[in-house]
Amino acid sequence: MEVQQTLTVCVTGAAGQIAYSFIPLLLSGQVFGQVKINLRLLDIPKMETALKGVVMEIEDCAYPLIGDIQTGSNPKELFKNCDLIVFLGGFPRLPGMERKDLLQKNANIFKEQGEALQEVGKDDVKCVVVANPANTNCLILSRYATKIPRQNFTCLTRLDQNRAYAQVALALNKPLNSLKNIIIWGNHSTTQYPSIEHATADGQSFVLPDQGQFIERIQKRGAEVLNARGNSSVFSAANAVKDHIKDWFNGREDTLLSLGVLSNGEYGVQSGLCFSYPIRCLGAFKYEIVGNLELSDFSKQKLKVTEEELIQEQGLAESI
Amino acid sequence: MQQIQKQIKYLKCKSISKRSLPINSQELQLPNLVNNQSHPLEQPSQVLLVKLGYSLIFRVASGEMLGPNQPVILHLIDLPFAMAALNGVVMEIQDCAFPLVQGIVATDNQSVGFKDVNYALMVGAKPRGPGMERGDLLKDNGKIFTETGKYINDHASRDIKVVVVGNPCNTNCLILANQIKDIPKENFTAMTRLDHNRAQHQLADKLGVHTSDIRKIAIFGNHSPTMVPYIDQMTAKNHKATVDQQWVTQTFIPTVQQRGAEIIKARKLSSAASAGNAAMNHITTWVNGTAEGDYTSMAIPSDGSYGVPKGLIFSFPVTVKNGKYSIVQGLPISPFYQGLLDKTIKELVDERNAVDHLLK
Repeated sequence: MEVQQTLTVCVTGAAGQIAYSFIPLLLSGQVFGQVKINLRLLDIPKMETALKGVVMEIEDCAYPLIGDIQTGSNPKELFKNCDLIVFLGGFPRLPGMERKDLLQKNANIFKEQGEALQEVGKDDVKCVVVANPANTNCLILSRYATKIPRQNFTCLTRLDQNRAYAQVALALNKPLNSLKNIIIWGNHSTTQYPSIEHATADGQSFVLPDQGQFIERIQKRGAEVLNARGNSSVFSAANAVKDHIKDWFNGREDTLLSLGVLSNGEYGVQSGLCFSYPIRCLGAFKYEIVGNLELSDFSKQKLKVTEEELIQEQGLAESI
Repeated sequence: MQQIQKQIKYLKCKSISKRSLPINSQELQLPNLVNNQSHPLEQPSQVLLVKLGYSLIFRVASGEMLGPNQPVILHLIDLPFAMAALNGVVMEIQDCAFPLVQGIVATDNQSVGFKDVNYALMVGAKPRGPGMERGDLLKDNGKIFTETGKYINDHASRDIKVVVVGNPCNTNCLILANQIKDIPKENFTAMTRLDHNRAQHQLADKLGVHTSDIRKIAIFGNHSPTMVPYIDQMTAKNHKATVDQQWVTQTFIPTVQQRGAEIIKARKLSSAASAGNAAMNHITTWVNGTAEGDYTSMAIPSDGSYGVPKGLIFSFPVTVKNGKYSIVQGLPISPFYQGLLDKTIKELVDERNAVDHLLK
């Protein structure tokens, strides 16, 4: 099949586990269709040899859609000419580390990368932040790359959304494609609010046998998987990144989706925070925040809690 | 909504544990699964955890292998002590909210695991440990694949297509297929697609073209250092292409043969992603057919072509149509290639002799 265009995509943390699962999905054609992908793979200098191994394997997959590949540790080199950057790389939480330290270490990384974007990035580059704390990392990134439109900065809450869909499908014993408009609000953390308030199953609204349990399960699902596998959720995360980009790029008519985006004050959330909202994806990387849904007092309360946490995180991160 | 075809069941026989275990008679309940009954294994097996299956499961579940209209039921088999970790994998599959996954069977019971399966990707096997002779490797894997062969014969769908990936894959496939009485032998294959893809890339790189521009190459023989990358009829962008013989013998062939080791050195882990990718490619091509004017590589039961002893599981150039493969006949074999073929034939015959006691 004749390949029409080329996109240049950068993946940070490219020698890591999520990248290892994500890159085959990116190159499979499932995200952008018959579009050639030039890869820019960024990781820290220590991972240079491992990164070479990753490149060898990409070569050995003989993907029809692979363009050229560059690797490196300098964002000012690798961010050039990128149409999309997937920020998988971040400072991991080490044993004994305070949340404050985690936030600040990552803020430094995303400040540097934001500055690189500002200097060499394409004016219209799209960003997906996955590395945790995703929302606050996304906020920091956007603060230092002011030439890039606010709506180009997103963070991942699609994993939480996919988890919520799965749990609802199991609880109601219904197929996944009968469900719509299950939304993750707020921070990608344990304060997130997975909401079925506007969701439908076969076009009808529904209640769950134990909504509190459902909410808590989604909030803590990462830990549940970690305990069972002895390893974090790798592939489901990579899959969610693929879904996020695919729907953001192609648009979705049949349902609202959850993406973390920069707030303009919708639902009374402090402007500038990166907050997961109900999003209508319009295609060609365009979207709109659906800002007029009726919210119950219960929901409003949940939104407040997660917003509080984000405000705190912002304070800690900005004290660098 | 597009036409949904019949349900297809998959199997991934992937994992194997490090420790030798006593029989575990615990009934294992797995939540949120289609079938969640399990029964104690009849015999203990010594097995090793291989991470190869992880990314493969998810790519298959996403619809990449059989296409976006083919719903799947995933069958995952593991040993009793590994059920908790397997449950974690099941949770992750659920967390992907794959529209095509209509069920997940996760079990330590092989008769449940293999029931009605249409496609089996056998990625698990006992790898070579330090100090281990090839003979020991063959013996240990012999037990695993003999048992698996029986379960497949008794429980799998009669049209099952099997690709053995776990090494030594050719001989493991031979052992497995030997247990099969009621399913056509040609349904049992081993994987050399990874070597094929690796060769394709090396040649594309040398010729300055894209991998998809390289056609008419094939891997003959054993998936081992004796494999034969045959490029006599190679085309690049549909024109006959040649590369100098010195590069072939001194760089190309050694690079393809040693690629796995090179990746382990760089990554400190095996080439799981590219191997899983190749396993998927193998099945997809087997189902969808080869492109016009091209062939692929599959290790299949030899019918005597190219002087290869009948019944050996041997990689040949094949075309595939309507779910059936045919060996590409009449390719010119120079003395250079004949020498390489002889070596790989001998190795496979030796392997077969080493497991002779397992073959009735």
